[in-house]
Amino acid sequence: MSHRKINVDQYDDEDAFVDENQTASGPTADSAQVEADVNSRAAEVRNYLSRGDVAGAVAKALENPPAGRALQTVKDRNTATVMEALAAARSTDIINIVKGLSTQQMDILMKYIYRGMGSPELYNSAILLTWHEKATEVGGLGGIVRALTDRKTV
Amino acid sequence: MSNTLRPYLSAVRSTVTAAMCLENFSSQVVERHNKPEVEARVSSEVLLTPVVISRNENEKVLIEGSINSLRISIKVKQADEIERILCHKFTRFLMLRAESFFILRRKPVEGYDISFLVTNHHTETMYKHKLVDFIIQFMEEVDKEISEMKLSLNARARIVAESYLQQFS
Amino acid sequence: MTSPEVHQLVWGRPISCHAFNKDRTQVAICPNDNTVEIYQRNGSGWELTETLTGHDQLVTSIDWAPETNRIVTCSQDRNAYVWTWNPTEGKWGHSLVHLRINRAATYVRWSPKENKFAVASGARLISICYFEEENNWWGSKHIKKPIKSTILSLDWHPDNILLVAGSTDMKTRVFSAYIKGVDGKASNPVWGDKLPLHTLCGEFDNDGWVHSVAFSPSGNYVAWSSHNSVVSLASGPNNPVITIPTNALPIVSIIFASETSIIGVGHDCVPFLFAQRGGQWELVGKLDQGQKKSVAANSAFRVFQQMDSRAQQTNQDVELNTTHQNTITSVRPYAGYPDNVTKFSTSGVDGKLVIWDVLASGVAGLRI
Repeated sequence: MSHRKINVDQYDDEDAFVDENQTASGPTADSAQVEADVNSRAAEVRNYLSRGDVAGAVAKALENPPAGRALQTVKDRNTATVMEALAAARSTDIINIVKGLSTQQMDILMKYIYRGMGSPELYNSAILLTWHEKATEVGGLGGIVRALTDRKTV
Repeated sequence: MSNTLRPYLSAVRSTVTAAMCLENFSSQVVERHNKPEVEARVSSEVLLTPVVISRNENEKVLIEGSINSLRISIKVKQADEIERILCHKFTRFLMLRAESFFILRRKPVEGYDISFLVTNHHTETMYKHKLVDFIIQFMEEVDKEISEMKLSLNARARIVAESYLQQFS
Repeated sequence: MTSPEVHQLVWGRPISCHAFNKDRTQVAICPNDNTVEIYQRNGSGWELTETLTGHDQLVTSIDWAPETNRIVTCSQDRNAYVWTWNPTEGKWGHSLVHLRINRAATYVRWSPKENKFAVASGARLISICYFEEENNWWGSKHIKKPIKSTILSLDWHPDNILLVAGSTDMKTRVFSAYIKGVDGKASNPVWGDKLPLHTLCGEFDNDGWVHSVAFSPSGNYVAWSSHNSVVSLASGPNNPVITIPTNALPIVSIIFASETSIIGVGHDCVPFLFAQRGGQWELVGKLDQGQKKSVAANSAFRVFQQMDSRAQQTNQDVELNTTHQNTITSVRPYAGYPDNVTKFSTSGVDGKLVIWDVLASGVAGLRI
């Protein structure tokens, strides 16, 4: 690597901004606890879905998402859970489910929609696009801005 | 397929609008410089989380925001070899003339076919909503353009083949 | 409903900041370059009287001290100037401020007593500037820790000591800007009783860059707007933060209109009003209802075609139906400052300076 490309500032700058998401721990450091949490949530969501309660499943799936860098596999598993819930909704029901969510849940939903669209090989983009459309309709551009600004990626 | 085009474009439209909230921001690393942070990538705190909007695996848009600039990279649908060649030639043609398009980047971001870079200078001199319109219109037209080129290419190939084979009849 | 006063001061380029003098007969603006233009009110319009030159990069902020009639400007060229009116020459003369920073200066505000001002900068520090009699220049003291990124905005507490700063490291911080020899005794019932310079009196976390900060007229509330489209308030260092999430684009500039209401402007091109009603802070509404344009009879076919192919609800015209045509970057009180603002002024990327009447601007029957 050329010496010109070395970022010399990082060596003497103790005041530099540190992105919490980039550090190893992140906001949810206790990974065993988080993992158990994610697994039990997955089971509960499946429970809701088998009863045909899609709205309940979506609300449950959006609870307390794991954050932090070390937890990538856990985060992926939680994403799969959310996607399962989202995919179960009929396109005509989506708008009513979205309307039933709180602002905070809407913001988390938006983050997961973008997360899902980021891996089109795993999740069906057409469904997510419909969710995105309805979520924007209800939550406005503010929800998207919050998904873009939030550093606690899912 | 066209039934997912509308939600796809509207998702891109709303996300680009949300990301195009730019302001003049002077570099906090290099004295007296003012450069697009999304390209410089020296201050992680002024970057936004990059997002991808996908219609399927082959068609997606990457939107990377920052405090004073925004990068939009488009992956155009390429179903077969011909479309791949046409798309490459077409985007190359445009990117060689990037200065006439103001916001076009001369090189696409890796993994995408064409990229736009919008800075606060663009949003200061042009209407924000028209910039968004331009990008959406581009996305529409590029698909149409490539499928038209493919049709005329096939038609030409057929004529060539016919007239070539005529001598053997 | 009377429409707001609109003055297109510059064409085709932004007004990066503006400041009025005390009696609102003159306004200083920066037309997005290295100069500051002074306009004199002339009947219903404005006349350019002087162009202040001296900076060599974009002027980022202007503040006009009402009582002492001094202008302070700061720029991305790392300098700040104090401009004083020279009546014999009939011109504004400037003196350089000894800022001692090595990155762009981003924001400047006079303190309420006008004996100090604070300059925010990209050097991750705030310079508190005051006049040093013995040297006959404007010197400064720095507030450095624990700022981790560029400061985007500042506001002074009415007591002339406390200062709130919002920065791109997603924190809002309240500092003491006490200068020995300039200020009297410093103590505050809400924010702390021992206040030497650079005491950190409060620190609040956000999910986005903090664009704008403001102290309420009494100084008990501090409000700020962040890039995640949220306006937040805190009433002390340890009290819970009140957040008001909005469905709109981020708000980049806010002022307190009274102790219980806030005006915010930003990327949505309209001013928003936030107010405390029934003990609850909430978004009341837009202060610009927009002129309804007569929509030309469009063929139904075209409308649906638009919707289908471009994901566009209506055939958008080039112009928006709001008063400002692009992002509003700054809002300042115009009349009734500090605790009963009846008029406020905004300037934006579209080169317009607009003076709004709070009560006449559409939110009819509004009781703050």
